[in-house]
Amino acid sequence: MNHFVRSQGFGATVGVIAMLAVFTVIDFSGWWTAQTISNVTQFTAILALVALGQALVIMTKEIDLSVGSIYGLTGVAFITLEPTLGVSGSLIAALLIAATAGFVQGVAVVKGRLPSMIVTLGGLFAARGIIYVWTGGSVHNFSADARSHALTRMLGGELFGIAAAIYWVTLIAVLLAIMLWGTRFGNRLLATGGNRESAVSRGVRTDSVKTAAFVLCSLLAGFAGILTLCNRPQTHVTLGENMELEAISAAVIGGCLLTGGRGSILGVILGALIVVSFRYELIALGAPSSWYITFVGAVLIVAVIFNQKLARFIGHSV
Amino acid sequence: MTKQQPLIQVKNLHLYFGSFHALKNVSVDFNAGELIGLVGDNGAGKTTLIRVLCGIHAPTKGQVFFDGKKVERFHPKLAIDQGIETIQQSVGLCDNLSIARNFYLGREPVKRVFGIPFLDLGKMRAKSSRIIRQFGLRENVSADDEVEMLSGGERQSIKIGRAVEFKNRVVIMDEPTNHLSVREREHVNELAVQLKEQGLLVIYITHDIFQVHKLADRIVIMENGEKVADANTDSMSAEALEDVIRQGGRMVEKREAV
Amino acid sequence: MALSAAKPLIRRHTEIGIFLIGAILIVIFASTSDGRWANLYNIGTIMQVTATLGLMSLGVAIVIGTGEIDISVGSTFGMGALAYLWLAARVDPAIAAIAAIAVGAAIGYLNGLLITRTRTPSLIITLGTLMIFRGISIALTDGFSFSIPYAARKGWSYFLLGGGDLLGFNTALFWLIGAFAVLIMVLKTMPFGNRLLAVGGSAESAHSRGVRVDRIKLSAFVVCGILAAFAGALEAGKLGFADGSMGRLMELQSIASCVLGGCLLAGGRISLIGALMGAFVLSSIQSYLVVTGVQPQWFILILGVIVVAAAYGDKSLRQWAIKR
Repeated sequence: MNHFVRSQGFGATVGVIAMLAVFTVIDFSGWWTAQTISNVTQFTAILALVALGQALVIMTKEIDLSVGSIYGLTGVAFITLEPTLGVSGSLIAALLIAATAGFVQGVAVVKGRLPSMIVTLGGLFAARGIIYVWTGGSVHNFSADARSHALTRMLGGELFGIAAAIYWVTLIAVLLAIMLWGTRFGNRLLATGGNRESAVSRGVRTDSVKTAAFVLCSLLAGFAGILTLCNRPQTHVTLGENMELEAISAAVIGGCLLTGGRGSILGVILGALIVVSFRYELIALGAPSSWYITFVGAVLIVAVIFNQKLARFIGHSV
Repeated sequence: MTKQQPLIQVKNLHLYFGSFHALKNVSVDFNAGELIGLVGDNGAGKTTLIRVLCGIHAPTKGQVFFDGKKVERFHPKLAIDQGIETIQQSVGLCDNLSIARNFYLGREPVKRVFGIPFLDLGKMRAKSSRIIRQFGLRENVSADDEVEMLSGGERQSIKIGRAVEFKNRVVIMDEPTNHLSVREREHVNELAVQLKEQGLLVIYITHDIFQVHKLADRIVIMENGEKVADANTDSMSAEALEDVIRQGGRMVEKREAV
Repeated sequence: MALSAAKPLIRRHTEIGIFLIGAILIVIFASTSDGRWANLYNIGTIMQVTATLGLMSLGVAIVIGTGEIDISVGSTFGMGALAYLWLAARVDPAIAAIAAIAVGAAIGYLNGLLITRTRTPSLIITLGTLMIFRGISIALTDGFSFSIPYAARKGWSYFLLGGGDLLGFNTALFWLIGAFAVLIMVLKTMPFGNRLLAVGGSAESAHSRGVRVDRIKLSAFVVCGILAAFAGALEAGKLGFADGSMGRLMELQSIASCVLGGCLLAGGRISLIGALMGAFVLSSIQSYLVVTGVQPQWFILILGVIVVAAAYGDKSLRQWAIKR
């Protein structure tokens, strides 16, 4: 029990239990209905993917503010390139774009020795600018052929009544967990965030580790964008706006310390569930959609402060 | 000497960081005009004790008396106002500011124009230039130069000069000779003795018992957050004191002097 | 040879970089736009944009000076604009401007309090408040825009608060000059300025000298909030209307101005004049894109690239200057 309390996912687990209890008791929107649950889990899966990438970057003691724009850019690229490259071709091209964006930002951070916050803030706007300039503000759609393509269905369809995104996030979460806790790379990633000097002194190439984290983060964000669009293939220029905030919130609620080196895969997914559920409830309550932005901001602040207090209480130096 | 009231009196001090017991029931007296060596291994609690005296940490339990009066509030500003100056290893100077601005940081002299406090830059420059000459900085260093350009010994000299300038009563030196060349180390040690001879209380923290034994009047040894020895340097040799450290203070009762 | 002689100068005045960039851009823009950029009307527009962006950048520079960052200024700007417009239509604009300043001070105080009390990274806290107040301003306007009726757009105080031109320039420019003069005086010649930079240089050292670090940081955030909200009020006074998205991207622009102007994000070294020059350069680029008919969307892209390039350029220049 003590071990569980000290684990990084503890706060999020308690949060999810409390939240579900409250939503069950004060039921505005028919919380335990198939419709609600399928919506919430689908959105949670998408956000969790972005947040998991963010978590990897946070574990190396950096931050990636560009994930929302990368999510949008990859999605836009996927749809826009489809007529020329076909579904599978544009899928690969879009993921390549995402990986490149992550690589460029990672290199700028480690080689330029710049704060990741500034680099990715720049990336946030550069990628959003590319979306505007590329689409010219117009809306793109998938053709009927592309919609029925096997790959599209695999990424955006359903199996046994459960959205494909949920299978994907489960698979990726397991892979990430194995990578983090069971491979040398994972060990080095945590060491890089926990104590960079020590990691360097043990021969860990922290620059490569950080760059890899940025690439993975952008890839996951991009993949989440593609999953979203396979489900509802329509782009708009604001696709993924403010998503970086939700992702950071989910990662922080899930127990990732901003001081690096600590995090929890399960915690991040539960964090995403909390953010999405509250959004869903807020909409169900009939609040104007703009309040949602305020809400995410408030959640972010509360989550950071709470997590920090919890970590200090347990005895980590934060 | 023995009848004199101690300048600083620490009584049954305890300090916890979260669940970590950093200081355990520490009691010690410090007299004016004494140079006291505070010795212990890393993590023995010597720096923590000093941080209480200069107001950075507040004790969890126990009292500190300064000049016979109980200290109620702990803040660096209050300690400095009382005349307790600390010279720490890496802390105390801001690299981005000039020597003059660092010298007076926290208690800048002001000239009031229409009641608005403006820095008295002329005074700051003049005084700090005089001090940096007196404490042996390079000839080509000026008071307007940024601290970033100075060597480790020059930084220590500025901090010691600051202690003299503000007519302090207590100067605490936390490992003042770390990372210094041999010549710079001797210079700093001479300055420490000078301060004592001017009637100040000098607390000299180090883990090198042999170095401080030559300078100090009294040695206090800390171990695991406890005081394990407190002896005059003329009553105990450096070798005997080193034994105390080596044995983790198991012979305290027998050897306690004063 | 001449370059190495300039090293000590550049070490102390990293804003030299942005002045060179500014000069080069002015020449390029003036010579490639057939007089559409370099004419009195357009320069006046650039100056007006520089004035509001510059006020925000000064505030952000002060916060950066303490080693923190405030990215909520875009929303504070919007809240200031809305507060001003809502009240200016009802009472005297001067009172409305004071109310806007109070709103800004309150937001800055909230930021500062959350950051200093909980010791949380300022980036995260102000990212949160950026969203909180953006949501509130969209909800307040609820899709419509606040505006002052044309009949009410007169009187001295309306004129002085961005609503008119003096000597060919929008009155906001004179507020900027005033704010700059006051801040540079506080920073260079007052104990507060000395302590502020000390906190940014080494909070631990400043604390050991008895400087109340939290109080200094808190005041920096309040100053930043005040300047951002006041800039919003001036912009609202100029336009006469505002909607919920007012001030979007302004946070990035003001941080970019500071970085361009040679403010070190790690804290302790800032240049107010450099931040203003940075604001001027960004406004000039924006205006150049407009007068040459480039899609305005390009500006977001360029802005993103400029921020990173400026951070890198500033860092390289500084490292070069420190090498002996």
